[in-house]
Parts: sequence; C-alpha cells; structure tokens
Amino acid sequence: MTVKHPSPEPPLHQGLSFARRRSLVLLAMAAPAVVYVLAVGVAPLLQGAWYSLFDYNLIHPARRHFVGLANYRDLFADPAMRAALGHTLLFTVAAVALEFGGGLGLALLLWRDSRFNRICLALLLVPVTVTPVVVGLIFKALLGPDDGFIGYGLAHAGLSDPRGLLGDPRTALAALILVDAWEWTPLVALILLAGLKTLPGDVLEAARTDGATAFQRFRLVILPLLLPAVFLALILRMMDAFRVFDTIYVTTAGGPAGSTESLMLLAVKQGLQFFNIGAASAIGNLMLACIAVLAGTFALIIRRADVAASGR
Amino acid sequence: MRRLQRQIGLERTALGAIVILVLLPVAWLITTAYKPGTALFTSPPTLFFTPTLDNFRTVFGLFDVVGLLRSSAIISGGSVALSLVLGVPAGWALARAKARAALLVAYFFLAIRMVPAVAALIPFYLVMRDIGLLGTWAAVILINAVLNSAFVTWMMFSYFRALPAELPEAALTDGCTLLGAFWRVELPAVRSGIIASALFCLIFSWNDFIYASFLTRLDTKPISVALLAAYGTYDISWGTLGALAHFSTAPIVLLALLLNRFFVQGLTKGVH
Repeated sequence: MTVKHPSPEPPLHQGLSFARRRSLVLLAMAAPAVVYVLAVGVAPLLQGAWYSLFDYNLIHPARRHFVGLANYRDLFADPAMRAALGHTLLFTVAAVALEFGGGLGLALLLWRDSRFNRICLALLLVPVTVTPVVVGLIFKALLGPDDGFIGYGLAHAGLSDPRGLLGDPRTALAALILVDAWEWTPLVALILLAGLKTLPGDVLEAARTDGATAFQRFRLVILPLLLPAVFLALILRMMDAFRVFDTIYVTTAGGPAGSTESLMLLAVKQGLQFFNIGAASAIGNLMLACIAVLAGTFALIIRRADVAASGR
Repeated sequence: MRRLQRQIGLERTALGAIVILVLLPVAWLITTAYKPGTALFTSPPTLFFTPTLDNFRTVFGLFDVVGLLRSSAIISGGSVALSLVLGVPAGWALARAKARAALLVAYFFLAIRMVPAVAALIPFYLVMRDIGLLGTWAAVILINAVLNSAFVTWMMFSYFRALPAELPEAALTDGCTLLGAFWRVELPAVRSGIIASALFCLIFSWNDFIYASFLTRLDTKPISVALLAAYGTYDISWGTLGALAHFSTAPIVLLALLLNRFFVQGLTKGVH
C-alpha cells in the first residue's frame, strides 16, 4: 500500500507539463496553415527565383541551361519591357491618386451615420464585388465608338479618336485608369470611413467650439488622426493596382500598339503563352521585389507616424 | 439647426447622384441582357426597347450554364472550406501564443497577400502538370487556398486577439481544456469574423480569373473564364454576354448586399 506524501514537486511538475502541453496544442493548431502556405505558396516562389536564372523554354525543355542573371539583363535591355514598367508605374500612381481623392470625398460625405448613408455605402460597394472580367467587358462595350453609350457620344462630339478611347494608343491607358478608379474608389472610401468613425468625438467637438473652420478642422485635426487609415488604403490599392491583370487583359490585352502592356501581362504572355519560363520568372521576381520595396517603405512610414503620434 | 438640415440635404443629394452615376454601368449590363437583337447593334445606341428573354435562350443554347456555375461553386466552395479549416485554428493559436515569434508568423501570413499571382503561378503550373493535376478543380482550389488561408489566418488572428482575455480564462478555470475553450467558448464568440472571412474568400475565388484560366480545362472551367472565352470565340452579341454575366455577377453581388455587415467587416478589419 502506498502512502500519499504531500510534496512540493507535483504542482510544479504539473505546471510545467501544462505549459508544455499548451504550447504543443497551439503549435499543432498553427502548423497545418504554416506548412500549407510554405509548401503550396512559398515553394513555387523559390522555384520561380531559381528558374529565373535559367534559359528555360517548355517548347525546348532539353536546351535548359544556367545563364545566371542574363534574363534580368535582357529584361532591362528590352524596350517593350521598359515601356511595360513605365505603364505599370503610371497606372499605379494615377489610379491610386484618383481613388484616394475620390475615396476621401466619398468618406466625408458618408461620415454622418444615417440609414440613408448606410444604404448608399452598400450600393457603392457593388463595383467592388462585380467579377473583374465582367468589369472589363462592361467598359469595353460602353466605350465602343459605334454602339457604346459613352464611346459613341465621345467619338461624335469629337472628344475621342474615331477608334474610341480604348482603340487609341494615346488614351487607352488613361481609360483603363478610369475603369480601375470606378472599380476601387468605393473600397478606399470604405477604409477611410472606417478610420473616420474611430476618431474621438470630444476632440472634434473641442476643435469646433474653439472656432476652427471646417477646412482647419479637416487639415489640423481629422487628417493627422486619419493617417493610419490613409496609409492602409494607399498601400492596399498600390499593391493591387501594381499587379492588375483581369480588366486590362479583357479590354485591350496590352494593345493598341503595346500602349497598355503591363508587367503582369508581359509575364503571363512570356510564361503561359510562349512558355518562356526563365524570362517570365524574372519578370515575376522583379514585380515581387517592387511590391516588397513598396510595402517595406510604407511599413517604415506607418511605424514612424505611429511613434510620432504616440510621442505627442 | 436649419443650416445643418440644409447641409444634410446637400450631402444627400450629392451622395444620391454619385450612387446613381456609379451604378449606371451595372444597370447598363443588366438592361442589355433584356434587349432584343435589333436594338443591340444600332449606331447610335438606343435607349428604349421592348424587353425580351431571347438573350437568355441563346445563352442556354450556347453554353452549359449549369455546368459552369457548378465549376465556380466547386472551386470557391472547396477553397473556402480548405481555407477556414486551415486558417481559423491557426489564427486562434497565433492569438493565444505568448511567444514573440507568433506575431512574426502572423505578419508572414499578411505578407503572403502581396505576392503577385504570376510569380507563384508559373512554377505551380509546372508542378501540377508533373503530378497530373493540371486541368482539375483540385489545382485551382489548392492555389486559391494559399491566399485565402493566409487571409483567414490574419483576420481570425485579429478577431481572437480582440476577445476579452477573461473569456477563455473563465472557461479554463471552469475545467475546460484548452481546445474545449477554443471550440465551445471562443469559436462562437468570433462567429461574425468567420462569416466575414468566408464571404471574402468566396468572392475572391468566385471572381478569380487568372488562376482558373490557366489551370482548368474546357470541362472544368468556371464561369469567369467562360465569359472571356465566349467573347473571343463565338460571334455573340453584348446582349448574350450580358445575360451570361448575370450568372457570374448576380450571386456574388446579392450575397455581398445581403451580408453587407460582414462584407464591410471583412474589407475594413481584415486588412489591418
């Protein structure tokens, strides 16, 4: 027969094993997602980085050989590629600027909480949910110079080329920027509105009773407090605009005369139509690098703004 | 008081006008589908017409609409299910872990969101070809679930972290195991987060074009891919295309309007 001795050991031992069991449970719950994303998402990225160092075409797989950084050198030497980089940057900056301006205006209009405004917000978000391929088709049809509502009017008023906005190399990219703004301005408005709703009411009230004009209140009180939402909206839209594909592919497929060719389109054409895996991977990696730099810069700015805000 | 009322009136007029302007292209898409063939190719375009269902008849004659919708439903349903099964427990574990590394792992999931589709798609395409999954729904579900599970993990991480700390602690002192507290107490408390992330993943996968267009075959392609193929290969009118677009757009737009509260949560909270 065993005698139970009260000893200080068991509770301590139990405590340790509880903590260990706890971390094992947490690890087991997190592991599947981590392993999945690494295996199905990150592994192909690394593979792509490796492929970009080869001359590798699926049509002649046997000729595959290591070429170092030659694919990247060829990219920068290629005028079509430099043009695509330019289009992509112009598209990103112009679309995001438009969406930010429009989104801020919309958010301020929607700020007052009322049933009317909530219904308006719900309806404004419809473009965000419409299938992007359909967005492309809608505007391809509307901008058609012969039978499209917008296109016919513009062409006959002499405001656009007879080939329509999308058929003229001088205006095609601008038209696509406007389409992107139609699609995504409401999202920017929503993010900024969410930011506006977190602003402390007493601060705004104080500014009002101090006699600040509407513009002063906006510039000196609202805008600084809104910065986190502003950065969030900007970075989100920049990353997405930088890799836009569906709407351009559907409307112009890079034309006319290559005037709307983007990095994403170029990569897809190289890789999945010409099966030039090495070159396509190089473009993909270049895009990844650009987005990483963009995100890193924004993360730094946000952190600095956070520090500055909390230091006050 | 009167000044405030006048300002509200002005704001509402402006908002109403903007809403109408924004919805016009969508309204055009809807009405085009009910236009008779004679009203479609007129130049200048006509504004008034007698509605007809001819375009829908043409669509059902040319396309296997039910099959296309089934493909879209299988792809988005499969990827939503997979993403929730992977992402919800992971988000919870990262929110409960006290190690500093947990936050880094959470940021890793957020960073996955930034990857341009094409960078992973080409190597993924080759792997699928080598293991014989190219052209199957499984291939599209697998790659869609990467972005989606990363999104769900990040989103649920922020939802679980926002729960009051007393909630799981009370369950634990009541004799619940750690997993019991997760399943019976915490999971019900973040229900709206789960709905929001599921809805968001559903929209993303349903609308996906680039993955599906290169990874599916003729008999597995979803409706988003069929739409462009229809435009390219058949000599069909905007009316027929508008009718086909009904089936691609209406389910998602209606769902988002119906679940608006969760949709808005997903768009604002999940991206923080």
